[in-house]
Amino acid sequence: MRLGATAVRALTKAVGEEHVRFTPGELAPYRRDATPLFTGHPDAVVFPADTGEVAAVLGVATEHGIPVVPRGAGSNLCAATVPSHGGIVLVLTRLNRILELSRDELLARVQPGVAVARLAETAAHAGLLYPPDPGSRGVATVGGTIATCAGGLRGLKYGVTRNYVLGLEAVLPTGETIRTGGRLWKDVAGYDLTRLLTGSEGTLAVITEATVALLPMPSHSRTGVAYFGSLAEAGQAVSAILAAGVVPATLEFLDRKCVAAVEAHARLGLRTDAGALLLFGDDGPIEVVAGNMVRIRTLCTEAGAWETTLAEDVAAADALLAARRCSLPALSRLGALTILEDATVPRPRLADMVARIDEIADRHGLHIATFGHAGDGNLHPTCVLDPGEHGAADRAHKAFAEIFAAALELGGTITGEHGVGAAKLPFLADRVGDAQLALLRRVKQAFDPAGILNPGKLGS
Amino acid sequence: MSDIFDKDLLQRCISCGFCLPACPTYALTGDEASSPRGRITLMRALEPGELAADDPALVEQSSFCLGCRACEPVCPAGVRYGALLEQWRDHQWRGRRRPWPARLLMGIVARAWLLGLQGLARRHARTRPAPAGPSLLLGCVERGLYPGVSRAAVRLRPELAAPSRQGCCGALHAHNGDSAAGARLARTLGGRLPGTIVTTAGGCAAHLAEHLGRDRVREFGEYLAEQGHRPAGEVRVAGRRARVALQDSCHGRNALGVHRQPRQLIAAVADYVELPGAADCCGAAGTYALLRPHDSRRVLAPKLAAIEQADVDFVVAVNPGCLRQLRRGLRGSRVRAVHLAELLALAGGNGPYPPGRR
Ligand SMILES: Cc1cc2nc3c(=O)[nH]c(=O)nc-3n(C[C@H](O)[C@H](O)[C@H](O)COP(=O)(O)OP(=O)(O)OC[C@H]3O[C@@H](n4cnc5c(N)ncnc54)[C@H](O)[C@@H]3O)c2cc1C
Ligand code: SF4
Ligand code: SF4
Repeated sequence: MRLGATAVRALTKAVGEEHVRFTPGELAPYRRDATPLFTGHPDAVVFPADTGEVAAVLGVATEHGIPVVPRGAGSNLCAATVPSHGGIVLVLTRLNRILELSRDELLARVQPGVAVARLAETAAHAGLLYPPDPGSRGVATVGGTIATCAGGLRGLKYGVTRNYVLGLEAVLPTGETIRTGGRLWKDVAGYDLTRLLTGSEGTLAVITEATVALLPMPSHSRTGVAYFGSLAEAGQAVSAILAAGVVPATLEFLDRKCVAAVEAHARLGLRTDAGALLLFGDDGPIEVVAGNMVRIRTLCTEAGAWETTLAEDVAAADALLAARRCSLPALSRLGALTILEDATVPRPRLADMVARIDEIADRHGLHIATFGHAGDGNLHPTCVLDPGEHGAADRAHKAFAEIFAAALELGGTITGEHGVGAAKLPFLADRVGDAQLALLRRVKQAFDPAGILNPGKLGS
Repeated sequence: MSDIFDKDLLQRCISCGFCLPACPTYALTGDEASSPRGRITLMRALEPGELAADDPALVEQSSFCLGCRACEPVCPAGVRYGALLEQWRDHQWRGRRRPWPARLLMGIVARAWLLGLQGLARRHARTRPAPAGPSLLLGCVERGLYPGVSRAAVRLRPELAAPSRQGCCGALHAHNGDSAAGARLARTLGGRLPGTIVTTAGGCAAHLAEHLGRDRVREFGEYLAEQGHRPAGEVRVAGRRARVALQDSCHGRNALGVHRQPRQLIAAVADYVELPGAADCCGAAGTYALLRPHDSRRVLAPKLAAIEQADVDFVVAVNPGCLRQLRRGLRGSRVRAVHLAELLALAGGNGPYPPGRR
């Protein structure tokens, strides 16, 4: 769609001339996000400064029937910020202040454009922990992670983003501003709209402020690695650890291809001959952490680990975690087109799922490398392709459709943390069923009667 | 399809966004277009002609980029952004499209005899060539602006030969849209200076390493560390050991991986203070301070604040552009900006005093 002259004038008036973009070159960087193979064509990019300006932009959009795609850092992996219906990309990076950090109340009030790592570091300076820890923490924004309910490397013990959102300020497509939840740890006045907006992927409202819960910083933490002959064996070790009643903060795994790719970038001296690496970590009082490290190492050895080692100090532990976080981009060293998925199964089915992925990859003649949040049953099988190779992407899509089906069969889901966006929408009905899908659409209607917020995604 | 870019290089990026937090221009704007990933998207639109080279966004973003390469070491996919930027500017700034101050400078420094004239007015170090090296690169900016740096370097390491007629390394050309001349000048200089080339300019070091091979080139601090140089003495201020911070050289750090060595050398003669953002670009960025003075100052501003807050006596630069930028920024401040070589010479008791002046 193209914008009419009145809409252009109104948008310019809403945020100021400096903060709107209309030319092809200025728009080009907003055609896509971190998801491969999806692009759109925005008609405008708008950078509001505050809640009032967000409301003004949404007012213009509703009046003129212009689609609006909210965007944080554009690091999502489900094409959730691709402007597939054109319209306005609403970039929230100028709302980048940490408004309050309260040690007494263990909470922070932040604007949506603040990067997760910045929030976490600011909290850490005050002796507090913001647990949500997606691999993309350096770039991903608080708004984006709430809107996708991001998981991460601490999901096992600490849960995911939704467990830390106390309240939200959000602007509805109709222009009204609402405040849901707040500073209270208990508050059941009304439907839990905070949770509804968490994971709503920019389809219901634009989040303009969040109140998030913090925890006291654990006094100690340790991180280590175990090497196995295969990913399936590592999966068995994970089951054994959980079955033994140990719930560490972090249990992540990478298969051989991932370890090799990560080592090529990070050069930590990881063993590249093993079939899989299990990264484990825990935090808390020193006795508890030390005890858990011993138990995890023993259980790994019993499950057939070749070797287990503990990081010597915090810097070494951070380096290991950083290496795990970069698995996806590091894998692209093997081929410039990397398509990654997010299948998740109940924890005891992890090893089964790994085996199913291997089988499917072999049958389609594809290179699929797998890493993921083993402790959450959350796998990221990643297909590495040469973009020039004819028909390769089609084969990958066929294989992934089978992987989704396998995950569902094992009692799992099509996406554990990356979201639905445009990429998974065709598969959503398989997971939630027709009745729920229809309800999602009615919810969307109630928030956004004109259907302007992120069309072609959740709720469409 | 045109051939502005090396296809393999351009294809490498998977748009993950890991590089965004490292980019100083993205930090200023929050606009994807001024991020490394956004710029690569723009290059990808330019390559097949979806966008014309005179598209205002292409013109603006190719010039707004500092070329600091902070986006490289953080990129897990191994994208060689510096090389892409050179190719982009080769196209974007070809011929008369190049900003005139850059054109003027490039014309001057490409003539070795003109560079040599600076030596008449400025007493930089000068020795006879040594047939097997190691040789000290005098640098076209440094020999004119800060001749004391090469003098300090040679005093610290008398084995360094510093012949006057050596020419320019070509980094200036490579970064300003003429990478062919940049490569040619580097090779010529490699022929004139035998053996290992030691340089007090991180930017020159990275460019020479690219064209002569990493083995032939040593950044000054790196060279000292490798030679097992033990800095003598101590830098004292007002009766106590001086507090000294470092400003990394972007290319020294991001392209060559040199960052430990200068810190250790400083710590040997003073109390080393790590500035927050020591690794971030200071905004000098070669010709950037000249071409985009306003943006250059915006990039510098948080650094100046950090320096003042850290309560240091000196801030050390390892690149003449950074030295100039910091000295200008710190005018009127108590804090002095000096080159690493000057600081070490000062500690040994044979440096200029007061330091930070010519
Ligand atoms: C290398 C890499 C590693 C990753 N690791 C993880 C991981 O471990 N766990 C995980 O869960 N994800 C991970 N991700 C995915 C991604 O980082 C997350 O989805 C993240 O939450 C996106 O944040 P963002 O700020 O980039 O949001 P964007 O990508 O900009 O947007 C994501 C969605 O949120 C909406 N949105 C953004 N801001 C707002 C707002 N203020 N109001 C309303 N809606 C909004 C958008 O419309 C879109 O639907 C990873 C991505 C990469 C590239
Ligand atoms: S340059 Fe590297 S870090 Fe940046 S988006 Fe591309 S692949 Fe990711
Ligand atoms: S070179 Fe520096 S300014 Fe340019 S894109 Fe990379 S990080 Fe940003």
